[in-house]
Amino acid sequence: MLKTTVVGNYPKITADKSAPNLRSALNKFDRNKISEEELERVYQETIQRVIREQEEAGVDLITDGQIRWDDPVTPFARNIDGLEVGGLIRFFDNNVYYRRPVVKSKLAFKDYSTVEEFAFLKRNSTKEVKAVIVGPFTFANLAKDEYYNDIDKLTLDLAEILKKEAKKLEEAGAEFIQIDEPSLCFSPEKIDLANQAIKVITDGLKAKTFLYLYFGGIKNLIPAPFDFPVDGIAIDVVSRPENLDLILEGSFDKELVLGCLDARNTRLEEEEELLKLFQRTTQKISSERIYVSPSCGLEFLPHEAALAKLKRMVQSAKKFNLGGDD
Amino acid sequence: MLLTTTVGSFPKPDYLVKARNLFSRKKISEDELRELERKATREIIKLQEGIGLDILVHGEMERADMVTFFAERLEGFGISGLVRSYGNRYYKKPIAKGKIKRNHPIALEMFQYAQSLTQKPVKGMLTGPYTMCDWSFNEYFPTRRDLVLNLAEVVHQEALDLDHAGAKYIQIDEPAISTRPSEIDLAIEAMKIVTDGLRAKTVSHICYGDFTTIYPRILSLAVDQLDLEFANNDFANLEIFKNPRFTKEIAVGVIDVHSHVIETKQKVKSNIKRALEVFPLEKVYIDPDCGLKTRTLEESEAKLKVMVSAVREVKEEMGLK
Repeated sequence: MLKTTVVGNYPKITADKSAPNLRSALNKFDRNKISEEELERVYQETIQRVIREQEEAGVDLITDGQIRWDDPVTPFARNIDGLEVGGLIRFFDNNVYYRRPVVKSKLAFKDYSTVEEFAFLKRNSTKEVKAVIVGPFTFANLAKDEYYNDIDKLTLDLAEILKKEAKKLEEAGAEFIQIDEPSLCFSPEKIDLANQAIKVITDGLKAKTFLYLYFGGIKNLIPAPFDFPVDGIAIDVVSRPENLDLILEGSFDKELVLGCLDARNTRLEEEEELLKLFQRTTQKISSERIYVSPSCGLEFLPHEAALAKLKRMVQSAKKFNLGGDD
Repeated sequence: MLLTTTVGSFPKPDYLVKARNLFSRKKISEDELRELERKATREIIKLQEGIGLDILVHGEMERADMVTFFAERLEGFGISGLVRSYGNRYYKKPIAKGKIKRNHPIALEMFQYAQSLTQKPVKGMLTGPYTMCDWSFNEYFPTRRDLVLNLAEVVHQEALDLDHAGAKYIQIDEPAISTRPSEIDLAIEAMKIVTDGLRAKTVSHICYGDFTTIYPRILSLAVDQLDLEFANNDFANLEIFKNPRFTKEIAVGVIDVHSHVIETKQKVKSNIKRALEVFPLEKVYIDPDCGLKTRTLEESEAKLKVMVSAVREVKEEMGLK
């Protein structure tokens, strides 16, 4: 049985006028037109909508859509001592921006970043839920280092801080923890460092852990992903179709998250092309070990396209499962 | 020598922002909106003449977004729902749904109007095919290359119109070009199509740049002048252009458009002098880092006045006119 999941973020607003309007609430809050309590209510209603949409679409393992996050780095950066949240800079090759953290002194844990959000997700969902944290190497890579001048030390200090976050998420009931390391695709020479840093985080965790490698290729990382101290690896076969070949050619014994619906383009995949891909993948890897997923977070898409992709993903996986090929 | 200009956009006056809003809710007619766009354009031309800039822009009062503006006027494009770019900022992204065709000139009318208002040269402003592709969804073309090359033909037609209308400068912006260094050859191939046979001096503005990855390859881009940002990163980029030597004309961004703070004349003069250590005087133009549309009109005017007066003083110190 193929299962389905998502990568993390999800469009915060919809064209549906009856839905909670977070964009307008944030605008009003900035102009002191609504209270913090009112804004919080809109946040919660938006997150509940996002949870409901994923559940109704039939996704097996969901997130809260990262509705409170402006970008994948800042929520963590705000809770680390020794950092300042800097100016806007392009997020990989997307027409989307993040605030670049600036490392000013030795980093230290200040507070948990995502634990309350995760608890809210868990309380409000009937499905299995997943916590997401930024990977220590990707964080280090996206930051401006004005203190360590040493990406290894910076990464490992971040790993210690993120380990606390992961541990606390587990205590809050997280059974799945996803660690995002897209930067690794573009810095394969740092594979050993990333491996070591991931180990710091996953060591001693009982939750299932997944390493997410999206936006890029894994060619120059092979065979390391096979040995990472995590339970599963997510690959993006949209940006780089050959990523799948690389996994299928090796002796891959982890769980696989197959990022196969393009989360950066509105073109809706044909069921036929998805079924072919599932067929190919399950010839080598048991469907029990596979999650089907979009290639990255769905927030690059307008809401209606994101939802259409979720539905197509679930329908195709269901159809495949009914076909009973395995 | 050291001619001053700007990158393209100016902030829209409040009455135009309101009118655009009313128009989108069908509360005012297209004619009413167009009249206000022309009024705002007249004000922007006057503002630039008052400041004493050498090469003017029309200010892009009729454009919300440099890609969507063209996409909305081309056959083959649809427009998506809202997508977030950062914080609480959203934009609508074009979707390529079929072969892209131009049924009528797009940039020409406003260029001609703006040029009719002044004796100074007004730049014709276009968005490059690579950036048009990079900032759109693609539901039709098998590859990005197919879309880029189709767009190159369309932007070429736009450029020809401006050229025939007497534009002395045609600027084809490619801010996305540094995003994917692996596609630089495609962007270069496309620009060759766009500028083929033009008489006007051609310019391309590129920003958000990590230039280490595309330099010196970018010198093959088929334009006479590159317009680059420098102030925003305090000229950290400058080093890259020393070796190998920069061969084109260059418009140097000496004003940070992302900051509310008005630069001191001293600072801008030192920025200009730093640029002149690397680029030969006769090839240098001076402008802000990027379009001014995110600043207020007051900030824009104050920043540009400082820039123009800094250029004058540098010229005097160097004994130029």
